[in-house]
Amino acid sequence: MKVPLSWLREFVELPDDSDAVAAALEQLGHEVESVEVLRPQFSGCVVGRVEQIVPHPDADRLRVVTVTTGDEQRTVVCGAWNFSEGDVVVVSPPGATLAGGFEVGQRAIRGVDSPGMICSERELGLSDEHEGILVLEDDTPLGADFSDLSGLPDVVFDLSITASRPDAMGVVGVARDLAAYFDTPLHVAGSHVEERGEDAAVTVHLDDPDGCPRFTAREVRDVSIGPSPLWMRQRLRACGVRPINNVVDATNYVMLELGHPSHAFDMDRLGETVVVRRAREGEVLRTLDGVDRVLDPADLVVADGGNAVAIAGVMGGETTEVDESTTRVIIEVAYFDPPTVMFGAKRHGLHTEASFRFQRGMDPAMPRIVNDRVATLLEDHAGGIPAPEIFDAYPKTIEPWQVTLPLSEVSRVLGAEIARPTVVSYLERLGFGVSADGDVLVVTVPTRRPDVTMAVDLIEELARLHGYDNFPNTVSMGNGGGIAPDLRRTRRLREVMVGAGFHEAMTYSFTGPADLDRLEVPADDQRRQTVALSNALSDEQPWLRTTILTGLLQAASNNASRRVDSIALFEVGKVFLATPDAEGLPTQPDHLAFVIAGTADSGWFGSGRDPDVLDALGIVDLIGSTMRVPLRRRTVTASGWHPSRAAEILDPDGTPIGMAGELHPRVADAWGLRGPVVAGELDIAVFLEPQPRWEFVSPSNYPPVINDVAFEVDAGITAASVLAAARSGAGPLLEDARIFDVFEGDPLPAGAKSIAIRLTFRAGDRTLTDDEVGDIRREMVAAVAAATGARLRGEIT
Amino acid sequence: MNDIERRSSAAAEPPATLAAPMDVHAELDDLRATIDDRLVAASSLDELDKVEAETIGRRSRVAELRRGLGALDPDVRRLTGLAINDAVAELSVKIETRRRSLEDEAEGERFAAEKVDVTLPGRVPRRGTYHLVQQVMDEIIDIFVAIGFTVASGPEAETDWHNFTALNIPKTHPARADSDTLYLDYGDEDESVLLRTQTSPMQVRYMQQHEPPVYVVSPGRVFRRDEVDPTHTPVFHQLEGLAVDSDITFADLKGTLAYFVHQFFGPNQRVRFVPNYFPFTEPSAEMHASCFNCDGSGCRVCGSSGWIEMLGCGMVNPRVFEAVGYDPTEVTGWAFGMGVDRFAQGRHGIADLRYFWDGDVRVLEQFQ
Repeated sequence: MKVPLSWLREFVELPDDSDAVAAALEQLGHEVESVEVLRPQFSGCVVGRVEQIVPHPDADRLRVVTVTTGDEQRTVVCGAWNFSEGDVVVVSPPGATLAGGFEVGQRAIRGVDSPGMICSERELGLSDEHEGILVLEDDTPLGADFSDLSGLPDVVFDLSITASRPDAMGVVGVARDLAAYFDTPLHVAGSHVEERGEDAAVTVHLDDPDGCPRFTAREVRDVSIGPSPLWMRQRLRACGVRPINNVVDATNYVMLELGHPSHAFDMDRLGETVVVRRAREGEVLRTLDGVDRVLDPADLVVADGGNAVAIAGVMGGETTEVDESTTRVIIEVAYFDPPTVMFGAKRHGLHTEASFRFQRGMDPAMPRIVNDRVATLLEDHAGGIPAPEIFDAYPKTIEPWQVTLPLSEVSRVLGAEIARPTVVSYLERLGFGVSADGDVLVVTVPTRRPDVTMAVDLIEELARLHGYDNFPNTVSMGNGGGIAPDLRRTRRLREVMVGAGFHEAMTYSFTGPADLDRLEVPADDQRRQTVALSNALSDEQPWLRTTILTGLLQAASNNASRRVDSIALFEVGKVFLATPDAEGLPTQPDHLAFVIAGTADSGWFGSGRDPDVLDALGIVDLIGSTMRVPLRRRTVTASGWHPSRAAEILDPDGTPIGMAGELHPRVADAWGLRGPVVAGELDIAVFLEPQPRWEFVSPSNYPPVINDVAFEVDAGITAASVLAAARSGAGPLLEDARIFDVFEGDPLPAGAKSIAIRLTFRAGDRTLTDDEVGDIRREMVAAVAAATGARLRGEIT
Repeated sequence: MNDIERRSSAAAEPPATLAAPMDVHAELDDLRATIDDRLVAASSLDELDKVEAETIGRRSRVAELRRGLGALDPDVRRLTGLAINDAVAELSVKIETRRRSLEDEAEGERFAAEKVDVTLPGRVPRRGTYHLVQQVMDEIIDIFVAIGFTVASGPEAETDWHNFTALNIPKTHPARADSDTLYLDYGDEDESVLLRTQTSPMQVRYMQQHEPPVYVVSPGRVFRRDEVDPTHTPVFHQLEGLAVDSDITFADLKGTLAYFVHQFFGPNQRVRFVPNYFPFTEPSAEMHASCFNCDGSGCRVCGSSGWIEMLGCGMVNPRVFEAVGYDPTEVTGWAFGMGVDRFAQGRHGIADLRYFWDGDVRVLEQFQ
């Protein structure tokens, strides 16, 4: 909301320094979003009257105008036609400067000398108006320096008024806060309306006092539509409101000043009956924006004898709009029920200055005052004659209410004492009534402050005037909760991924059918049990994600399209499954997903290599060992994955927690990724559970015996089963067993493969002998043969 | 047997020349005189070995002379033996000196051949990065954990009640509009389910599950139906803080948040608090910190005000306490909520928030 400093000064004495005023506004909670300094763009211009206008001898479109500035006459050539003899105008003699730095000179136009100009608003830099000369009020003193009349220079604050302060949505409301802050009086003069003529013809039927607790209407006759005075236009413009005519401008001006909207109807079009009621089913109103709106029976409307003429508090109708022909107006100022206006505005998608204010809650005490103010402006600037007398329907007066404030609450909430007289002073400055009952203040809240209903609301007022920065700073020391184990373990999980070379990515929590299709998620898969958004941001992603992989693959794809070659990404986050949890919300498990694409580890020392399934499985192994959760794998054929290069990952209980491996080439291709793409996605719940404390094993000081064996097994036998059998068969002296070679084909028969294992034996208390190890080895080989049907191929030494 | 052996072994060796003692001395002198030239001429370790063998080796003339000592008179034998030993010692030192010099040369050549341009890029072990937003979130969490706070997390798909009603946000509040909040097609009609628009519902959940005192921070994803632009994404992160106890005051709120800013940005950062409005706190405030870019003198980052809006905060509204079953006459509390992404954006001068969501490796790898 834009507020000119000059306008504020009308109501309250303020420091000369506009920065001090801005700082006060900030301290009061009215954030200053910007400060605009308005400076005159002209100099040397004076007020003059048009004495005589004669045609230009050589040009039909030009006239020769004689103006007087009181003691001096001059004749200038002018191309505008909007003024006549006797009009008061702005004269810029030679030497004056105009907008754009233009210096007025003495020149001849088509053979006639023109020492100076008479000016349009655009030439003076006041507006873009250049259709005609700026014509001033008749009583403007001749010879006056125009800069004194232009209201310039001025400073305009653009304030962000919080939703809690509808009372501060006008200049006076802001001035009231400043007056309280600077502890100086607020001067707001009342309006005296000179009612004349016959009694008002208008009759009002307030049929819906719930939607409209108060409605005032005043008839003003003999209005003559024209431009409003320059000072009013200047203020409207400074506030970002376009001047229209003296009637519309008056209602806008008063809204800016007092914060309360009003509306002027052309009474000759409206008729003499005004009804405030709900809309009828199917009723249609063409609003001022030219749109035909089918009204809802919940809409509150202002109607004439038959039809709606305005959506109450939102927007007027076109049929009763004030225009150049208007002579009689009805000024409507009401207090509308805030939710009624809010829902009405929302239903019609019509958010106006008026609806914005009414829905936040105007002051029910104001309509009469506002109406009088508009009427006096119409008297003064539109020749209007207010008829006796104003119609004011207020069947159930909304009284100021009381809030009790125990003084002890002030320090309990704020952490500092504020002396009782100071408390009373702060509240009274803001217009609260204060009486006391012992140590409890009984505070009467004016109806303009719907935000104040509890003691803490008053405490906020005290804090505001006291200055938030004037309270002490003390630090709250908690009771030592620390980082919860699950968060600690999540951090560790992420640490594993980062240490393994993955960049942590974040992707949106949304997905859609095309995403899941590209991942080749089958129709009966749990990941198809999606939760849909009611008001999705995009048609492509109308669902909550059930997998993080789609997001990561998109990220990988973005990278590939930018020719970023080495891609290793992971993300930890929630996915959403339609199955309800105990609370009836979607199940929201935490997942870890990763993707590796492109070439890794290349440099001048080597050309790098493509990722493969073992990279994916290696990461899973690393996670399992770091998190101390022994994971298992199972060969599966799963849609979306390479048919023979992906594994299902099982937790120690054998429950599947995810997949890892190489994606099906079609899936990689669907995201525009070339070469093998490996990935994995795991439910991380099992990693977040605390694990039993591990026990230390002292390393042996004796030398190891290292023994390599190679088995020939059926190709269908898994490496894990051979290794497991070897481990259990080798007994307690086995320190380490690892597979170091696997192959199929020559010299092996078809359908067989070789698995070579390096076994390291070591005892903690002695040097092992060859005989000892030989015995163990024979037992181990027998155990592997028994478990897997393996045959010893020979020794590799 | 000894005799036979000795004889036979002696027979196998070259016959000892029985020379006169004076000739022996002359020969030794001759060796001494020529050794330097021979050593210089030996340009490799192999050649040096040959010189050594020829001069003092087992088959050398010196060895021969030594074997011939037995035939001399005891007195002469002793003196001649000493002379031979002296000469051998002298030659050995010279040969060893030459050997060390040749070895140094050979090593130098080997090292020269192994030369690597040390300005070449190293073989860097692959290491990833934490997402900047996550880093900032973790940093903030740790700052609060250090003063005794705990950390809680909660659902992202949340009930209307937890996200709005319990936080004193009326049914008519604009934040509830379809245009601002993402609603889910889920659950029954009485209780709509939505994507939380703030982390504040965690306050509600935490208080429902724990008796006071409460000292907790809660980070997480939040969702708003914002059009995407450089400073808005529909998914972003907030971090919420809550302290509830029998004696929590506005001064505690200010002091704790000032502590946080000083920990996060450094002790010279100035902070100020100005009034604001949030339905769930009263009094409500916005905390500003002196601009970390220009230190308060005004720049592009702070919009020339010298201050940066950091977060919203306030004293917990008694209505929120009532909603979670706390007695507002028994406890008071403060709460704050901050947008983590914008914080990270501001601190590191990231031009566009969309970089956080795109997964561009060139962006992520900067988050070291």
